[in-house]
Amino acid sequence: MTSFKSILFLLLAVVLAGCAKNLELQPAQSISEGLALSSDGNVKTVLVGAYDGISNGDLYGGNTMRDADLLGGNGEVRWVGTFNGPRQIFNKQIEAGNGDAQERWLESYEAINIANNVLSALDVVDADDRDRVEGEALFLRGLLYFDLVRFYGLPYEASGGNSQPGVPLVLEPTRSISAETNVSRSSVEDGYAQVLSDLERAAILLPSDNGFFATSLSAKAILARVYLQMGRYADARDNANDVIASGEFSLADTYAEAFMNEANSSEDIFAIQVSNQDGINNLNLFYSIPEFGGRDGDIEILDAHLDRYEEGDARKELFFERAGSTLSGKFNNQFANVTVVRLAEMHLIRAEANERLGTEVGLAPAAEISALRMRSGLDAVDDVSLEDIIEERYRELAFEGFFIHDIKRLQRDAGNFAYNAPELVFPIPSREIVANPNLDQNPGY
Amino acid sequence: MRLSLLLLLFVCAVSLAAQKTVTGTVTDASGETLIGASVLAKGTGSGTVTDLDGKYSLSVPDGVKFLVFTYTGFASQDVPIGNRSVVDVTLLESASQLSEVVVVGYGSQIRSTLTGNIAQIDGEAIENLPVASVEQAMQGRSAGVFVQSVSGKPGGRVNIRVRGSSSISAGNDPLYVVDGVPITSGTFSSPGSGSLNFMADINPNDVASIEILKDASAAAIYGSRAANGVILITTKKGKSGKAKVNVNLSAGSSVASNRREFLNAEEFVSFFRQTAEGAGRYDWANQINDWGLSDDEYTLENITAEYVGFVEGRLDRYSGPSEWRNGETDTDWQDLAFQTGESRNADMSLAGGSDAIQYYTSFGYSGQEGILAGNAFERMTARLNLDAKTTERLNFGMRMSFGRTTNDRVTDDNQFSTPLQLIALAPITPPRDEDGVLLDRPTTTYYNGLIDVEEAARQTVSYRTLTNVFGQYEIAGGLALRAEAGVDVANLKQNRFQGRRTITGASTNGFSESRWSNILNYTTKALLLYDKEVGAGHNFNFVGGLEYQRSSSENVEVEGTEFPIDALQRIASAAEITFGTSDFTEFTFLSYFGRVNYNFQSKYLFSASARLDGSSRFGANNRYGFFPSVAAGWVISQEDFLADNSTVSYLKARASYGLTGNASIANFGSLGLYSAPAYGGVSALSPSQIPNPDLTWEQTAQFDVGLDFGFLNNRFSGELDFYVKNTTDLLLDVPVPGSSGFRTQLQNIGEMRNTGIEFLLNANVLTGAFKWETSFNFALNKNEVTKLAEGQQLIDNNGSRSMNVVQVGQPLGAFLGYEFAGVDRENGDALFFVNETNEAGSIINPDATTNNVSEANFIILGQSIPDKLIGFTNDFSYRGLSLNVFFQGSFGNKIANAAGGFMSCGACWFDNQTRDQLDAWTPDNRDTDIPEARFYWENGTNGRSSRYLSDGNFVRLKTATLAYELPSSLTSKAGLSRLRVYVTGQNLLTFTNYEGWDPELASDSYSDGAAINTNIYSSVDFYTAPQARTIIVGVNVGL
Repeated sequence: MTSFKSILFLLLAVVLAGCAKNLELQPAQSISEGLALSSDGNVKTVLVGAYDGISNGDLYGGNTMRDADLLGGNGEVRWVGTFNGPRQIFNKQIEAGNGDAQERWLESYEAINIANNVLSALDVVDADDRDRVEGEALFLRGLLYFDLVRFYGLPYEASGGNSQPGVPLVLEPTRSISAETNVSRSSVEDGYAQVLSDLERAAILLPSDNGFFATSLSAKAILARVYLQMGRYADARDNANDVIASGEFSLADTYAEAFMNEANSSEDIFAIQVSNQDGINNLNLFYSIPEFGGRDGDIEILDAHLDRYEEGDARKELFFERAGSTLSGKFNNQFANVTVVRLAEMHLIRAEANERLGTEVGLAPAAEISALRMRSGLDAVDDVSLEDIIEERYRELAFEGFFIHDIKRLQRDAGNFAYNAPELVFPIPSREIVANPNLDQNPGY
Repeated sequence: MRLSLLLLLFVCAVSLAAQKTVTGTVTDASGETLIGASVLAKGTGSGTVTDLDGKYSLSVPDGVKFLVFTYTGFASQDVPIGNRSVVDVTLLESASQLSEVVVVGYGSQIRSTLTGNIAQIDGEAIENLPVASVEQAMQGRSAGVFVQSVSGKPGGRVNIRVRGSSSISAGNDPLYVVDGVPITSGTFSSPGSGSLNFMADINPNDVASIEILKDASAAAIYGSRAANGVILITTKKGKSGKAKVNVNLSAGSSVASNRREFLNAEEFVSFFRQTAEGAGRYDWANQINDWGLSDDEYTLENITAEYVGFVEGRLDRYSGPSEWRNGETDTDWQDLAFQTGESRNADMSLAGGSDAIQYYTSFGYSGQEGILAGNAFERMTARLNLDAKTTERLNFGMRMSFGRTTNDRVTDDNQFSTPLQLIALAPITPPRDEDGVLLDRPTTTYYNGLIDVEEAARQTVSYRTLTNVFGQYEIAGGLALRAEAGVDVANLKQNRFQGRRTITGASTNGFSESRWSNILNYTTKALLLYDKEVGAGHNFNFVGGLEYQRSSSENVEVEGTEFPIDALQRIASAAEITFGTSDFTEFTFLSYFGRVNYNFQSKYLFSASARLDGSSRFGANNRYGFFPSVAAGWVISQEDFLADNSTVSYLKARASYGLTGNASIANFGSLGLYSAPAYGGVSALSPSQIPNPDLTWEQTAQFDVGLDFGFLNNRFSGELDFYVKNTTDLLLDVPVPGSSGFRTQLQNIGEMRNTGIEFLLNANVLTGAFKWETSFNFALNKNEVTKLAEGQQLIDNNGSRSMNVVQVGQPLGAFLGYEFAGVDRENGDALFFVNETNEAGSIINPDATTNNVSEANFIILGQSIPDKLIGFTNDFSYRGLSLNVFFQGSFGNKIANAAGGFMSCGACWFDNQTRDQLDAWTPDNRDTDIPEARFYWENGTNGRSSRYLSDGNFVRLKTATLAYELPSSLTSKAGLSRLRVYVTGQNLLTFTNYEGWDPELASDSYSDGAAINTNIYSSVDFYTAPQARTIIVGVNVGL
C-alpha cells in the first residue's frame, strides 16, 4: 500500500514535470520581423504601418503644423494652454529636453525606419505593384526628411552653401544596434538633396490615383512646397502647375468646406485619415474647445492676425469668440482628417512663382489670387504684387503650418528674432545627444 | 537529489545510540494547549513540535538532562527530565522571538536554527488596522522593508522594497507567496486611473503571519524571482477543540492628514495685478513688444496696462456670474477636493475542529471611503481553510478564499478631472451658477473636476479566488512526499461612464467603457521532504521538488459614445461603438529546487539550497538559470564558555551567500516583433521591438553576516545584520539613437549595489502588572548604480517637469537638475548656479550664477528613495487596558513638487498659487528667495530645479491603539469568552519639514506604467493625495 501511494505521488510529479515544452510561448498580438517582411501582402501591410507612423499626433496628426505656427506666430497667436512644451516653443525658450521636440524626432525616424523596411523588401512585392509600393515609401520618407531638416537645421539659404548641419540621413532599415547606428548629421544641402531624390522618384513611380494613399500628385505637391522653400521658383511653379492641371482636385465651394471633413475634400491632395476608430487630430485638440473634442482653446488668435482680413472675408468669419478670446474655426471636428497639402497652396505657390519669374504658367497671378478671394466672398483683383500674394498665403493657409517656414524662406523676423536665429531651430533632443555620441547639438542649446 | 538521499540513508544506518521516549502536553497559562510548540533535547539537535492537541513525543538520548520548550511569543523553558517519561509544561508569554517557528520557503523552521535572515510579522500585530491592504500594515514593522503607498487613494499601488531596489527597468517588488502559492501580485494598471493593488484582495485579518525572506540563504530557493526578496503570507488555520467565534466590528472616519495653503480671493486678485506689473517690467527691460504696440505707444505704462487688461479680462471670465472686484466669491477648492471618508469594518471567524479535521472559516467586510471626493474602497472576503488527517501517514488540506473588491476610483494625478487638481482653479470662481449647475470652462480656469465627481463613474471590481490543495504522505520515518496544486484567479471588471458634461464625454454626448480582464495563475508542485536526527546531535532536514507555474492574462474591452441621456450608462445604449479590443499574454516557469539543512546539536548550523529555473520569458540562448546558496551559523551561547552566562542568554553568528534572480521582465521581451496598428480603417504592421535572443534574468549575489542576540534571559533580544547585494546583468532599455527607428533595446547590461545595515531590538522593558514591551528597528541601505550600458553614464527620460534619473555612482532615481540660487536682488530674475565642471568633473566656480537657465548645468540635487528607515512600536498594558503606539520614520530623500511650475510660479498663468508666492520679489521687496512674479514668462519656473525640491524626512505616529479587555469573570457571565473595545488612530501625527501635503508619496501618474517609472519616480508629488488620518472605534467579541 505504501509503495502504491508513493508511486501515485511520483506519477503526479512526473506529470507535473512533463511541461518543459511549455516554455516555448509565442505572443498573441505581435509577429516576428521575418514574417512581417516575407510576402507581398505582408510588405504592403507594413507600408500601411508607415502611414500610421506619420499620422501620429506629434507628426502630421497635427503637431508638425502647430509648432510651425507657434514658432512663427508672434503677435498673431498666443499659446494659452498648460503644456510647457508648446509654451516653450511659442516663447522661443525651448529646452534641449523639450518633449515635443523629442517626440517629433523619434516618431519621424520610427516612420522612416518602416519606410526603409518596405524599401528593403521590394523583391517580394508583386511586380505589378512594386513601383507603387516603392513610390509610397519614398514619398513618406521624403516628406519626413523635409520637415526634419526644416525644424532641426538652420534655414536653407537659396543663395547656396548650406553646409550647416541638418539631420542624420538613414536610408537602410535597422535590424540590430551597433556602432553603425550612430549616424552623424548630414548637411542641410544633403538633406534637401535626399528629399528631392525621394520625392522626384516617387512622383515618377506613383500612380495618379491611389485612394487616400500617396499619389504622384501628392509627391509633386510636396515637391512644389520643397522647391518654394529652396527658392527654386520655376521648379516650384511647374510642380504646382502639374498638380493643378491634372484636374484631379478642385477648390471646395466655400472656404469652410475645405475643413473639418471626415473624408478627403475635393481640395485635399494628401491628408491624414482620422475617424472615431483610429487616428488623431491634434489641430482640433489644441485649436478647438471641449464641445468639439478640443482642449480649452489652447491657441488664441490675436488682433494683429485678424487685422489681415478684409471685412466680408469668409476666412475671417470662420473665427469664433469664446469667453473674450478669438479662436480658429477650422478645426472644430475631432474626427476630421488632417490636411497635409491642399490645392489652394498649389495656387499660391504657382502665383508667387509666376510673379517672381514674370511668367504666367497656367494662370496669371492676379487671376489665380482672385479665384481664392472670390471663393471666400471677396472681389476679384486686377493686379497683385508679390507682397499681396504673400499676404494671401497668411490668410488662406493660416494655422496649417506655414508661419515659421515662410518667415525663414522670406528672411523676415519672428518677433525679436531674425529668420536665422538659433532660437527658431529645434534642439537635437537631449536624449538623442546622449544616445548617439556622433551628434552635435544646435547652437544655443 | 538522489545522491543526497543515499547519503542520508547511509548516515542513518551507521548511527546508533541509546534513547528513551518522553511524552507530554504543552499548555499556556490559561490551560489552552499550544500547537506547534517546539521541544528540544538540550545539547542535541533532537527535537519535535507539539501536535494539534499540544502533545509531543520525543526520543531523548541518554545523558540528556533537560528539555527545552519554545513557542512563538512565549518564554522558553529548560525543564529537567529526571526519571520522568511524561513531562507536561506550562509556558508563559514573552516578547522573545528567538524560539518561534518561522515559515520558510517550502517548509518551516525554528528560528534558533535559521541561518538566513527572515523577518516575521505576527498577524495579530496587523489585525483591525484601518488600511486597505496587507502590505500597508507591514510598513515600519521590520527592518529593511520599505513600504510606500504611492498616494492616499485606498486600494492603489503600494511599493515594497526589500533591502533596497535591485533593478532599474524590471520589477522591484518582492515575490508574494500565499500559503505556498506564488500569486498574481503587483498592480493592475488602468489607463487614466492609476494602478490597482492586487494585494488589496486579501483580508489582512485572515493572516496568521508574514515572513519576509531577505537574504540569499532564505530566498534563493525561489531562484529567478527572489532577488527582490520573498514575502510569505500564511493564513490562519483551525485548532482542534471547541469552536471559537470571533467577531470584530469597527467604524470610523478619515480626513486628509494635511492641507496646503493657497491664495484666497482677495490675495488672488491683488497678486495677479502684481504679476501683470512684473511682466510689464520684464518686457520693458528687454524691449519685447508682444502686444504689437506702435513705437510711440511703447512705454512701460502701456505694456503694463496691456497685461493688466488681459489679466482683468480673464478675472472677469473666471468670476463668471459673480463679481471679483468686490470679493463676492471666495471658493476654497481644496475643501471641495477632500471629503471626510466614513469607514466600516465587520469580520467574523469560526475556528475549531477535531483530531481528524480542523477548520478556519471567516467572513470579512471592509468599507472605506477615501479622503478624495468620489473615492471609495470596499472588500468582502470569505475563507475556508481545512486541515485533515486521514491516516497516521496521510495529511491533506486546502486553503480557499473568495473576495470581491470594489474600488470607486478617481482619475490619476495627471488628469484635470482628478479631485486635487481642483486647487488650480481660481478662488474667485464659484463652483456652481445661480441654478446650482456646476460651472465649467470657460468660467473655470480648467475643467471643473467636480463634474467628474458628480457625472462620471469609474468603478473597478475584482473577483479573486485563491485556492491551494495539498496532500502529504509519510513514506517512512522522517521521509515524506507532498503534492500541491494552487489556482489564483483574478477577474477584474472595469466600468467607466463619462457624462455629457465631463471632459471625456463632452464632445460625444457621453462616453462609456467596459473592460473585463482575467488573470489565471496556476501552480503545481511535488516535494520530497526529509527531516531526521541521525544520531548524536546530527540533524538533517531536506526538501527537494519541482514546481510548474503558468500565468495567463486576457483583456476584453469595448468603448461607446453618443448616449441618449446620462442615466443610460451601459454600452447597450451607445449609438456608436468606437473601440473594441481583446488581447492575451502568458508566461511559464518550470523549476527544480532543493535545500539541505544540517545542524550539529543545534550549535553548528549549515544550509545549502539551489534552484534551476526555466522560463518562457528568457531568450532562446538562456532558457535556464541556476541559483545556489550556502549559509552557516554558530550558536555561540550553546558553547560551554557561555552556557551559564547570566547576561548573555542567546548569541548566534551567521553568514550566507547566494545567487538570486529577477525575472520580472516583459513576457516576450527577447523577440523581434511587429505589432498591428491600423490606418484609415486599413490594417497595418509596424516594428515594435528589436530582438535580443540573449535576454535573461537579472542576477543578484548577496552576502549577509548577522548576529542574533538575547540578554538577561532574553529580556532584550534582537538582530544585527550587514549585507552587500551586487546585482549584475541588469535589464536596461538601453536608449539607442532614435534615428534607428527605435527608442530603446532591452539588454542585460547594468550593475547596481545595495549595501546595508539592519538592527532590530526587542525588549520587555517592564514586566509585572504594568507591562511595557518595545521593539525598535533601524535600517540603512545605500543604493548605487555602478554600471550602465557601454559609455553610458545617465538615463534621463524626463521632460521639463520631472528630474528622476539613473546615473552611475548615484542611487536609483536621484534628482538631476538645475541648482536654484535664489533671486537677483536688482531685477527679480531667478538665479541658478552655473555649476560648470572641468574635465575631472569637479565644479569650476561653485559661486557662479546665471539668470539664463540654459547657461546652467544639471547637477545631482538629492535622492528620491529614503536610505534610512525606522520603526518603533511600544505596547503598554495594565490589567485589561492596553496601549499600542507605533512610530515609523523615513530619512534621506528629497521630494520634488512636479506641479511647482504651476502652483508656485509667481502666477505665471491663472493656476491658484501657494501662499508663499506672496513674498515674490518686487522693487519694494528685494530681500526674498521668490523670483519676481511675471505673468506668462517663465521666471525660475523650470520644473527641473532645486527650487521645487524639499526635504522628505519624516517621523509619523503611524498607529496608536487604546484598548480595554473586560475581565473574563465579567464576560463569562454574559456568555462571552472575550470582550474588547478599542480605538485606533492611523497617521495621527507627522513630524516633517516637507512643504507639500504629505511626504509619503510617489505620484501615480509618474510611477505607473513601465517598470522603470515605478522604480525611479519615487518622491514625486504631482497633486498627489496625502495619506488619510483615520480614527476607528471597534469591538472584538469572542463567543
